[in-house]
Amino acid sequence: MGDSQYSFSLTTFSPSGKLVQIEHALTAVGSGQTSLGIKAANGVVIATEKKLPSILVDESSVQKIQTLTPNIGVVYSGMGPDFRVLVRKSWKQAEQYHRLYKEPIPVTQLVREIAAVMQEFTQSGGVRPFGVSLLVAGFDDNGPQLYQVDPSGSYFSWKASAMGKNVSNAKTFLEKRYTDDMELDDAVHTSILTLKEGFEGQISGKNIEIGIIGADKQFRVLTPAEIEDYLAEVE
Amino acid sequence: MSRGSGGGYDRHITIFSPEGRLFQVEYAFKAVKAAGITSIGVRGKDSVCVVTQKKVPDKLLDQTSVSHLFPITKYLGLLATGMTADARTLVQQARNEAAEFRFRYGYEMPVDVLAKWIADKSQVYTQHAYMRPLGVVAMVLGIDDEFGPRLYKCDPAGHFFGHKATSAGLKEQEAINFLEKKMKNDPAFTYEETVQTAISALQSVLQEDFKANEIEVGVVRQENPVFRVLSMEEIDEHLTAISERD
Repeated sequence: MGDSQYSFSLTTFSPSGKLVQIEHALTAVGSGQTSLGIKAANGVVIATEKKLPSILVDESSVQKIQTLTPNIGVVYSGMGPDFRVLVRKSWKQAEQYHRLYKEPIPVTQLVREIAAVMQEFTQSGGVRPFGVSLLVAGFDDNGPQLYQVDPSGSYFSWKASAMGKNVSNAKTFLEKRYTDDMELDDAVHTSILTLKEGFEGQISGKNIEIGIIGADKQFRVLTPAEIEDYLAEVE
Repeated sequence: MSRGSGGGYDRHITIFSPEGRLFQVEYAFKAVKAAGITSIGVRGKDSVCVVTQKKVPDKLLDQTSVSHLFPITKYLGLLATGMTADARTLVQQARNEAAEFRFRYGYEMPVDVLAKWIADKSQVYTQHAYMRPLGVVAMVLGIDDEFGPRLYKCDPAGHFFGHKATSAGLKEQEAINFLEKKMKNDPAFTYEETVQTAISALQSVLQEDFKANEIEVGVVRQENPVFRVLSMEEIDEHLTAISERD
């Protein structure tokens, strides 16, 4: 892709065997806003901080959590513009699968395809890796699933995970609180508490975003009003 | 222990620095400021107004050819702050895209779709080494069928947000501070208030009173959703109203 002048990979091995561009990409993710995901027994929740650069920004114009298919959603930490590219490619992949097999794409397949795209950009000529890590939440015939995909293109299934600025505190908090038989509602409460841990300022329905998918297999983003209700319960 | 800076190329093309930054994108932002112009956009209850300085560096220049306000379609306007040549490229491509959209889908391209398209194009330049990011911040304005007046700002990094008010260019931060105070309680400005807020914000931040030929003003109004550049007479009326008000 791109100009033939750049038909060589920009991501190359260092003498110690590392791919430093990928490491730098992970650093970019680590300085992004915190996001997390929790897999419950009957669903999955993903959440993120939504800190905007100024009060002049119309927060209803920004949606960080995106729906990839009716039963799969995704959130990111890192560079927003890169995220949009991946979302667009995922939409297309999901649609192509559906066209071919006449059924909705399974979560693992979609994750694998997104990861493959991210890996391409670590090896192709004239491009840099994506500066985002993704948390993909879905519910299909294999039940509720949560996957994390990194800039290198590697992905793992998680019971609960966090990314971004506050990752270590958040993960410690999640490790303590996570139980295998958690219900979706509990998971939402736990995710709010986890976000609250590292939150600077007053948490509200307008500066966090939460997406959930339950046994109905419909992924949806909660409205600010619904988030306020959950916040009130947590107080 | 990760190796140092990617061989020094992280400053020349858009690859990551060790801190996970993209220097070329940051330098593109600096290029926007280097043009020495400040622009302001304000969204009211039923209108959007954008204002920018009109600096004509040479008296021999034809003033009418110096402009940063571009109609993209009849209903969408774009205010480009930064490098003029990059702005013209962007505008040309945006006009093409909007026209194709209208042809392909049978209805006018909405503001947010145009803003997203511009931002996605900018993102490509931040990821592919063969093209540098454009040194332009674009403010896109229009009246949306569903949501009413809309103002979006797209930057060289590929970010885009909807704004109640915003600024770009040399005195961007000062202007945003000024606007934050004005828009704190979500005022619903009328058309006149919208235009006057935008112009007086620019005057306050640059600490000078303008004459009508030193600024450019573009508006869209719900009652007449066409993108219009105000004439000298109209700008004068607003300037007079502002000075009488103070």
